[in-house]
Amino acid sequence: MSYLKESLSEFWASKVSKLGIIFLLVVIAVSIFTVATMPLDYGTRYWSNPRYWVENPKLAKPSWVNYFSTEKLLEHAVLPSEFSIPQFSGQYYLKNYFMNYELKVNQFPTFIMLRLENLTYYKSPPTVKLFIERPDNKTINLYTLNVEKPLSEEEPPFVRYADEPKRILLSGETTIAYALSSFLLTEYNLSTNPSEVMKMGYEKIIFGTLVNGSFQPLKGMYHIKVVLSSVDGRDNLGKVAFVVGGMIFGLMGTDSLGRDLFQGLLFGFPVALLIGFTTSVITTVIGAALGIVSGYVGGLVDDFIQRTADIINNFPQLPLLILLTFIFGGKLWIIMLVLVAFGWPSLTIILRSMVLSIKNAPFVESAVSMGASRLRIMLRHIFPQVAPYILSQMIFYTPSAILAEAGLSFLGLGDPSMPTWGQILEYGFKNGAVYLGYWWWILPPGILIVFSAVTFVLLALGLEPVVNPKLRRWR
Amino acid sequence: MMAVLSVKNLKLYYGTLRGSVKAVDDVVFDLENGEALGLVGESGCGKSSTAIALIKLLPSNVVKFEGEILFEGKNLTTLSDEEIRSEIRWKKISMVFQGAMNTLNPVLKVGFQVAEPLIVHKKVEKEEALDKARELFKLVGLPPEYVERYPHELSGGMRQRVVIATALALNPKVVILDEPTSALDVSVQAQIMNLLKRLKKQLHLSMIYITHDIALASDLCDKIGVMYAGEIVELGPIEKVLLTPKHPYTQKLISCIPHLKGNKMPEFIPGAPPDLTNPPSGCKFHPRCQHVMEKCKVNRPHAINVDGRLVKCWLYE
Amino acid sequence: MGIVRTLAVKGATLLAVLFCVLLLTVVVVGATGLSDKILNAMMNEELRATRQKLATQIKDPEQLEQAMEKIKETLIVAYGLDKPWYVRMPNMLLRIITLDLGNAKTQQTFTGSIKVADIIMERFPNTILLMVTVLMINFILGLMVGVKVATKPGSILDRVLSLYSSISYALPTWWLGMILILIFSFYLRLFPFQGMRSTPPPADPIGSFLDLLWHSALPIITLVIALSGSWIYITRSIVITTAQEDFVTAARAKGFPEKLVLWRYIIRVAAPPILTNLILALPVYLGGAILTETVFGWPGMGLLYYNSIMAVDEALILALTYMYTLIYVACRFVLEILYIILDPRVRYK
Repeated sequence: MSYLKESLSEFWASKVSKLGIIFLLVVIAVSIFTVATMPLDYGTRYWSNPRYWVENPKLAKPSWVNYFSTEKLLEHAVLPSEFSIPQFSGQYYLKNYFMNYELKVNQFPTFIMLRLENLTYYKSPPTVKLFIERPDNKTINLYTLNVEKPLSEEEPPFVRYADEPKRILLSGETTIAYALSSFLLTEYNLSTNPSEVMKMGYEKIIFGTLVNGSFQPLKGMYHIKVVLSSVDGRDNLGKVAFVVGGMIFGLMGTDSLGRDLFQGLLFGFPVALLIGFTTSVITTVIGAALGIVSGYVGGLVDDFIQRTADIINNFPQLPLLILLTFIFGGKLWIIMLVLVAFGWPSLTIILRSMVLSIKNAPFVESAVSMGASRLRIMLRHIFPQVAPYILSQMIFYTPSAILAEAGLSFLGLGDPSMPTWGQILEYGFKNGAVYLGYWWWILPPGILIVFSAVTFVLLALGLEPVVNPKLRRWR
Repeated sequence: MMAVLSVKNLKLYYGTLRGSVKAVDDVVFDLENGEALGLVGESGCGKSSTAIALIKLLPSNVVKFEGEILFEGKNLTTLSDEEIRSEIRWKKISMVFQGAMNTLNPVLKVGFQVAEPLIVHKKVEKEEALDKARELFKLVGLPPEYVERYPHELSGGMRQRVVIATALALNPKVVILDEPTSALDVSVQAQIMNLLKRLKKQLHLSMIYITHDIALASDLCDKIGVMYAGEIVELGPIEKVLLTPKHPYTQKLISCIPHLKGNKMPEFIPGAPPDLTNPPSGCKFHPRCQHVMEKCKVNRPHAINVDGRLVKCWLYE
Repeated sequence: MGIVRTLAVKGATLLAVLFCVLLLTVVVVGATGLSDKILNAMMNEELRATRQKLATQIKDPEQLEQAMEKIKETLIVAYGLDKPWYVRMPNMLLRIITLDLGNAKTQQTFTGSIKVADIIMERFPNTILLMVTVLMINFILGLMVGVKVATKPGSILDRVLSLYSSISYALPTWWLGMILILIFSFYLRLFPFQGMRSTPPPADPIGSFLDLLWHSALPIITLVIALSGSWIYITRSIVITTAQEDFVTAARAKGFPEKLVLWRYIIRVAAPPILTNLILALPVYLGGAILTETVFGWPGMGLLYYNSIMAVDEALILALTYMYTLIYVACRFVLEILYIILDPRVRYK
């Protein structure tokens, strides 16, 4: 027992080990947090589901870049409204929804979007109109939606946009071009056709003023009004939201699908831990067991195990990994299976020679002469001697498992049902993030891979003096 | 008669995290021509450190190295590293290390290793040097064709002969042997001892023979020095020291040797060997000495001539 | 002749490995129906070519169809498609070994050939060029820096090296490549983004060589940084251990100059275990090469591998797996030969 205590104190002594433990605690803490707050099927339910991300700006930088530049980038804004102010204009019942937006920076929004949820109507389909009042008090009647007619089998009340909200990407709507065309005519006496308007960019026209031939952003308060116009007073729109697309978003920015990279990166923690840890534990257990048996039992068993190990050790890992993953699909357990199958031989070979030298030690001989069974000797006498080495190998192998999975994901062979750091990088690379300078997409996942791998390397380095007494410091 | 090697006040201290280890602490002896001096003592008493001090093979953590090593009129401690390397080592003083398996380079043929000093120091051609190696092999009792073999192809005894042959390659004046037989089994040990005795007579070698086995030393050596905690506590002709030991430590050592005949049980020396980073004050043996006096705890004894030998003990002053 | 016998045994083991890998590949490919797909594709190609030729001779469509049917039947038997996959195994093995796998789906050589064998042969030297350069640089670096640091263990340089090695081991090669492209190509505009040569490449030999150098700089730097760390560290550890051996002290006792001790007693003795580690590191080099080529668009077998996976080009993937195993086995064999020459202890008597 004092051997254990001495080993622990030796381990704890070096700065390297302390750093490794700290890193490890960080990784574990984040993983626990992630597993607790995010659902297990996050990958299939959210990450791979483009509709979930449709309101986010695409390729947005992280929010905190604004702290580092004088020229601030536009923040992303989702403006909800639930309360309506009803009116009656003689013929129609009107419900007005108000939202305010303040443009504070010298930039245009990247897109605008309207979201409608939970629309009920009783008689004929209502219309939804969108108005924007600018800081210079000019109002644009931007967009009109005619709600769909009821289907033949439907009975009132007719419910729309309840299971899935209706999202209208205004930046892509051609009808807006007409509205803006007339705005340009009245405002600047500019005669344009709709395709020219589209080329100019809706956001520039709506949120800017024409100065010397180009549009400058118009800072100030914008009032957005959505009006539900219907023939039945009971008609109601549950929720309305107006999305103003920004250039920055979230803690880590977004990718080309608008996915919040922070969530994806977070999810990578437990996955990396799982892969690294499980693979290395299984590999070590198999490798150690076979090595001890091979070394102690000897004979034909030894020969067989060693030959097999030697041949497998000679296999080139990555090409075969690629081939097998390609054929059987990139499921996580397949990757782990292949890594284990390739990983155990090296441990077996080394352990065997260690066991061979321990086998002839006097304390083993005395155990044999006392009549201990082979299993007991292997477990009770031999195993404790090689246990520190096994432990350090296990820790040392973890980063290679993490890196192998990341590499496979990068090649597109990863498990598509969950976001891993390698996959985020794969998607980034495929979309040219490297050549287009999307650093927030490329740097963080890699840094996290390195961080989690370094954690285990540090731990293994810290364990080195315990395993190899020659390297101990004299106290 | 002028001594071949005359050592005075030799000190060698190493620095460690626990403090400085006083491995060699004021060692004095003379080695006459053709004489074999045995240095005996327990493990860690400084015998091997004395050996490497003589050829200035200092480790990287040395903190003190001083004294006089007079050899052929020169003081070796004052020579530069380069002079020692090119003039003294192996040409004048060579060494046979303990554990021959590890002292031979595993990837070079043994014949080449014996010939190597000739090639390097005397610029002899390789073939000629190998011929000399074959001669040396014959001298030490190895078949000359073994020069083509590698160390792992030889038995322990053969390897030791190779190491001895290497030590003789440049016809040195002094050969230091550091426990040359402790890694061998008893029958091979006897063979090597016989070889050494023969070589000493044939080549008129001056030797320093380091061992913890007094019986072996008595077989080969003319003079014996008993070391304790970095000092030679008794130095003199072998019969005198072994038959009538004067220093209490020597007496205890001799009485530790078991006798085949008779009822006398072997004794043991109470206490433990001293910590060389913090040796006892005064005479280093005083905690374990049955004749200890107050003086012994305070003052270090000088070497005194007692009955034809040098003894460091207050009993005789 | 200890050397010859040992080499023969080693060679036999490595050939067994190659055979096992091929066997594994063939079994997997057969059992999953992949070999059927590939052979079918090859057969259909041949049928199409035959049809074109026949169409010029036989004008009557019905006669043509009849003739085609007969030919198809013979081809089915010739390709072995009428038998289950395990009967076809030896034939499949032979096909893989000779790279007779028909045409690739989407790739082609610069000269327009779409035969699998041609494509691979064209890309092969580019990969070798990259790998050999990096191997040599790393080996020399490891020796120089590793030995230098080993003479002063515990020094500041030693600690910096340990830190560098840990990070280098944890660094994914391909990610490092991406970062370097980001920094040096995107922000600093010092190096090209990818590829092996500019289009069009310079005509004169010196310009062409410099162009190659300019394009290969980043991939080589990436591979060296990513792979040298652990390599230098291992070399250093081995040299330190060797330097503490008794025969090194004995060599100094013999009055040998320090340079001789270093080369003949330390480096020469440390060479076999260092070489062993090089052998162990080979798979990492291979893997690194595949991924790095992908990142840098280097037209070698690695990029081909990546493209084939994206395009689900089975024939190419199969052929490439075989080629990589072959290269690996060959490199290993060469290193094993060197090892046996360097270390007399492993030879049979």
